[in-house]
Amino acid sequence: MRKLIVEQPSFQVHPGAWYLVFRDMAIIAAAFLSLSLFTPVYWLTDFTVMCILVLSFDLLYGYMGHLSFGHMLYFGIGAYMASLALLHLAPNPFLAILAGLVCGAALSAVVGFVVVRTSGAAFALVNLAINQIGYWLALSGLQDYTHGEDGLPSSVDPLGFLDFRSGPVAFGFMLVCLLLVFWLLKTLTASPYGIVVRSIKENEDRVKFLGYDTFNYKWLTFVIASTLAAFAGSLYALVKGFVAPSDVNPLENTRIIFSVLIGGAGNLYGAIVGSVAFEMISNLLATSIARWEMILGLMLLVLVFWFRRGITGYAYQLYLNRNRERLAKFAQSMGLSLRRQK
Amino acid sequence: MLAVNSIDVAYGHAKVLHDVSIQLQQGEMVFVVGRNGAGKTTLLKTIAGFLKPTRGEIDLERRSISALAPEQVARRGVRYVAQDKKVFSDLTVKGNIELAAYASGEPLPQAVERVVGLYPKFQEFMNNKAGGLSGGQREILLIGRALVGEPKLLLIDEPTEGLAAIVIQDIFRILSGMKAKVSSIIVEQNLSVVSRLADRIYIMKEGKIERELSDPAEIKNTAELENYL
Repeated sequence: MRKLIVEQPSFQVHPGAWYLVFRDMAIIAAAFLSLSLFTPVYWLTDFTVMCILVLSFDLLYGYMGHLSFGHMLYFGIGAYMASLALLHLAPNPFLAILAGLVCGAALSAVVGFVVVRTSGAAFALVNLAINQIGYWLALSGLQDYTHGEDGLPSSVDPLGFLDFRSGPVAFGFMLVCLLLVFWLLKTLTASPYGIVVRSIKENEDRVKFLGYDTFNYKWLTFVIASTLAAFAGSLYALVKGFVAPSDVNPLENTRIIFSVLIGGAGNLYGAIVGSVAFEMISNLLATSIARWEMILGLMLLVLVFWFRRGITGYAYQLYLNRNRERLAKFAQSMGLSLRRQK
Repeated sequence: MLAVNSIDVAYGHAKVLHDVSIQLQQGEMVFVVGRNGAGKTTLLKTIAGFLKPTRGEIDLERRSISALAPEQVARRGVRYVAQDKKVFSDLTVKGNIELAAYASGEPLPQAVERVVGLYPKFQEFMNNKAGGLSGGQREILLIGRALVGEPKLLLIDEPTEGLAAIVIQDIFRILSGMKAKVSSIIVEQNLSVVSRLADRIYIMKEGKIERELSDPAEIKNTAELENYL
């Protein structure tokens, strides 16, 4: 038998892939910096937070195939816990982020133990129900702590050059956070864990045939996604200096889902492109059209019926088609024909 | 090595297997034949842990596996190749092999070599998405993937179903190569394949074991076997 040499397991992020991850991070940073030339910096700061939130959701929905209508709960818990830490512990941004992360991880670890036993519509609705409970707690159940509808104001002390009152500094910090989250998710999704998670999306039973305990993978994915959402929430609290029950509102989940659909699910670039596109569209529409949500609704219909793969999915298809055309021309010039690969 | 002792299996209130018992010795290749609806696939799924017997026991190397979850059964060294020939279509051929290698702890180069050894053409398709493979190639990939990590027992459901004659030859060659090396239970309707490879045949009818054939002359007699299909 011919000896086959396998240089590197593609499961691992090998040196070539490290280079690609850093290249992609540089492209994302350059894209945001270019946007800053004609977009207000405070918009871009919001965009980066939204990107982190949507990236976290994409891990759950795009990669593992579990649609949740309750992701905002973890964003909200991150935001509230960061604000409470700023108010009651110390006005230190890193302490606030840590508080948001720890509480988001702890809550999702408990909730995840129950919810990942369900799938499909049940998973979406159980998460929605838990999100609704969180919303009620923020609004009235725990209003002694959350200040109910009045919201929770907070302030952060400058830490050296890190002063969140300065727009460019806040934007720079959020951009670095976004790049770190991108790097983390890129590494995770290219690892053995990521391959198993993607395979669970395709057929969970078959993953079990191979000896994997899929519950552990699903639970871990839920915890990672929710903790990253809490991270986005704590960053939001730092930037805004104010948290309100609307930041836990289950209705806000539609923004996340919409962003993923616009960009293309199961694709980290799709999550970023989708978030920026959604935020840009909604911000621009809101300044010129009174009922701008209606336009977004129509766009969602168009997306669901005609453009299910989202912006990045179609861009990739276009790229493949162009390459194929070039290859076909080359083959023709050589007197060859191409066999279509499904 | 495997003993299925008087199991009953039901889908809700509908009993599908009635008092089924089969035995498998180390290295044996046992075939299960019977008409559609006879309970062959249900039997394999029960051994693989996807269905729980309502009565009876399944022992692998004298330890019960009846109550284990599918992933626990798989970790005991049992691999199940389903009938529908579905691979992880979004992963590459190599990704599919890696998934099995990672689960079984077999080094990837060795796992790839094992699968390419079964079907050298895979070397060309290694980085192609598995969804683009033909039905026969998918079946070979599934069998190869199941062999990664040297399982103790292989359960294969209808490996030649719906395949062209030339691909059936490939499958036959692969199954012949497995003979005496891996213990296996294969559900198969192609009697030419069955009669040439079987060490023993169980004939199923209406959820029961109708006959057990272990005499080589009986196994070769495809005309008689046809009466049960």
